[in-house]
Amino acid sequence: MSKRLRVALLLAGAGLLAVAALADPLPPDATYRPLPTLPFDAVKALDEAQKPQVMQRQQALLEQRYDLSNRPIANVIMSGGRKPVQGGVRVKLPAGVTWDSLSAMSPDEIRERGLLPAGFIPLPHVKQATGGQVFPNQQIDEVGRQELRNIRRFDVDFDLPDRFTPEFPPPIFLTTHPELGDVSHGQLLTIKNYYQLMVGLLTPVQMEGLRLLLTPFPQEEFNQTEDRKSSDQSLGVTCLDCHANFHTNAAFHLTPDVRPQAARFRLDTVSLRGMFNQQIHGSKRSLRSVEDFTQFEQRTAYFNGDHVSAQRKGVNLPDRFDQVPMMAQMQNIIDFPPAPKLNPLGRLDPSKATQQELAGEQVFLGKGQCGQCHTPQTSFLDNNMHDLKLERFYNIGQTVNGLVALPDGSIKTLTLRGIKDSPPYLHDGRLLTLADTVEFFNLVLGLKLTQEEKDSLVAYMLTL
Amino acid sequence: MNRFVAFASLAVALLAPPALAQSTNPASPAPGNPGGMPPGTKQSAPGVPAPRQTNQPDLAFIHAATASGIAEVEFGKLAAQKASGRAVKEFAQRMIRDHGAANDRLSALAKAGGIAPADRPNEEHKAMRVRLEQSDGAQFDHAYIQGQIIEHQKAAQLLQYEIGSGENAELKNFASDVLPTVLSHLRMAQAIAMEMAQQRQAEVPPGDREKRK
Ligand code: HEC
Ligand code: HEC
Repeated sequence: MSKRLRVALLLAGAGLLAVAALADPLPPDATYRPLPTLPFDAVKALDEAQKPQVMQRQQALLEQRYDLSNRPIANVIMSGGRKPVQGGVRVKLPAGVTWDSLSAMSPDEIRERGLLPAGFIPLPHVKQATGGQVFPNQQIDEVGRQELRNIRRFDVDFDLPDRFTPEFPPPIFLTTHPELGDVSHGQLLTIKNYYQLMVGLLTPVQMEGLRLLLTPFPQEEFNQTEDRKSSDQSLGVTCLDCHANFHTNAAFHLTPDVRPQAARFRLDTVSLRGMFNQQIHGSKRSLRSVEDFTQFEQRTAYFNGDHVSAQRKGVNLPDRFDQVPMMAQMQNIIDFPPAPKLNPLGRLDPSKATQQELAGEQVFLGKGQCGQCHTPQTSFLDNNMHDLKLERFYNIGQTVNGLVALPDGSIKTLTLRGIKDSPPYLHDGRLLTLADTVEFFNLVLGLKLTQEEKDSLVAYMLTL
Repeated sequence: MNRFVAFASLAVALLAPPALAQSTNPASPAPGNPGGMPPGTKQSAPGVPAPRQTNQPDLAFIHAATASGIAEVEFGKLAAQKASGRAVKEFAQRMIRDHGAANDRLSALAKAGGIAPADRPNEEHKAMRVRLEQSDGAQFDHAYIQGQIIEHQKAAQLLQYEIGSGENAELKNFASDVLPTVLSHLRMAQAIAMEMAQQRQAEVPPGDREKRK
């Protein structure tokens, strides 16, 4: 048989195989949300009975991975002046290694000896099998107080200690009124108070956008059907229930973009500050406009990327030509917090910065290579996605609290402007402090930074 | 002791000790979403079906996983005889060993849980077997390895499905245990396929290579 004929036969064989592969597919609930089989009361009773165990498991996991103690950085406060910033490396090391000895090893050696600190691998949801939106207690309480709307779940609670979440309520900075500074009056924006807080500051279009961003709509866990996790029939969730005051309260969710359930990674709510400068949106989806994201956040993220389930529970489809642009225009005037030490190109002003901060900038732009992706001149973004290939350092496929740790793949570069205000870090919130992020990138990029360089990088990031 | 009682007590011994189902250790199987259990399911812990209580995800998993496991061993034996490449032969040996062990463990769990495992490969596997029987030499190696890539991709998705949607703690534990191995098999098969493709390319005379562009 000639070689070419053989190749042709092989290709034909591959075609046959592709057709035959349809024989034994996974059940539909591997992609679609199944309809509940038990009545609401029975599910609620079971969920409530499981809850203590569910919370203890996650607590045990957090304690295995992190040092959760209260160690604020002296003299550093978040932009609203309401919360200190936690310092120190909080990811725990495996026995017998130091950060220096670890960074001297090759990725293969770290993987083969199982030495990657557990805090570096993906962080599971409190209850991976159910997933869905989980709000921190401060948000739940304040929404309850102002609106009498219930966003508490009966099956799970928020898992991270308060000290590792953003200040609450976060300050609001407007690109249209830089002279005013924080315009939140120390309050959480809700459908009840937004008008009196914002009249005279916003245009009519922005005001209508804001109203829509604060209007609750049904969602996967908060709706009126039996398939929900709130004890009462819920009015639903608003955009700013997660993006509190257009920043974030660290509410978390599972990515809508992946199936099956065990492979869906956790998502920490991102800040909407500086959205005007971002060209791509979502850690994986790379949607090209705030308008697209706004529309799809309700269409899919609210419902886990399942438009079929959304249809049953009461999807809200904002009008693309009228409502969506207003919601987008409102989001587009939210500014980063002021960074008085930065010049217009995003570089430190030497007359204002300390020696350590300036040294940190040197490392950031030089040995640390951070500036290659976090470009100072464009809000520390490059509008690209990057694959950091963390899986070089660990064996993929391990299950931790129901989440299968798989390669992260390409993830959007996140901005570093105002970064001290938005713990926890990375798309899933797996890192608790900026010092953790420095150790993470030191390893992932093979930088071999000295302790002095690491400390200066943290000091530098606190100025952004 | 009558045979049923003997079997039942064996089943209990093999099954999740309540400690496993209830564990607060994050490495143990995580609780499922109780929303998907059939009404009337007896439970050993809240949301955890008792032994011999059937539920859809676990049934679907057992069936697909045991059929695939049997096929893997069959294909492995065939390849251990017929494969011409050394890497392919070694891979086949490894499939016989790893999938054989996993099959034994899974069948025991299935029986203890009162779920009948599959006793034969599925239609797709049968078609694959015919293809393998009809091919030889490099063509056999290619067909076997391509089939293995797809089979392991499917197995990885199936195991993840059970980890997320399954309710039987022992089965979920099994799935978590074997998933890393299945993913490493997948990487091995992909590496072998790439090597074979490079070899084929190297064998094509340079003149032909140009024309094929
Ligand atoms: C459950 C919490 C939650 C709710 C409710 C929510 N979001 Fe989000 N939002 C997120 C998370 C988490 C991300 C990050 C998504 C990702 O990485 O893929 C995000 C991302 C975004 C982004 C892209 C930001 C970026 O950096 O690219 C925009 C824009 C956005 N949300 C707008 C909205 C709007 C508009 C609504 C209401 C329709 C809304 N969000 C409701 C959690 C939420
Ligand atoms: C190859 C491009 C690249 C380089 C180089 C890089 N980063 Fe990043 N950075 C990213 C990406 C992509 C993310 C988001 C990763 C994720 O969420 O999984 C990120 C996230 C971060 C975050 C968390 C942001 C947040 O909001 O959670 C910090 C902090 C950070 N980087 C600091 C640094 C530092 C410090 C350096 C240099 C030592 C650095 N990065 C180098 C691409 C890069």
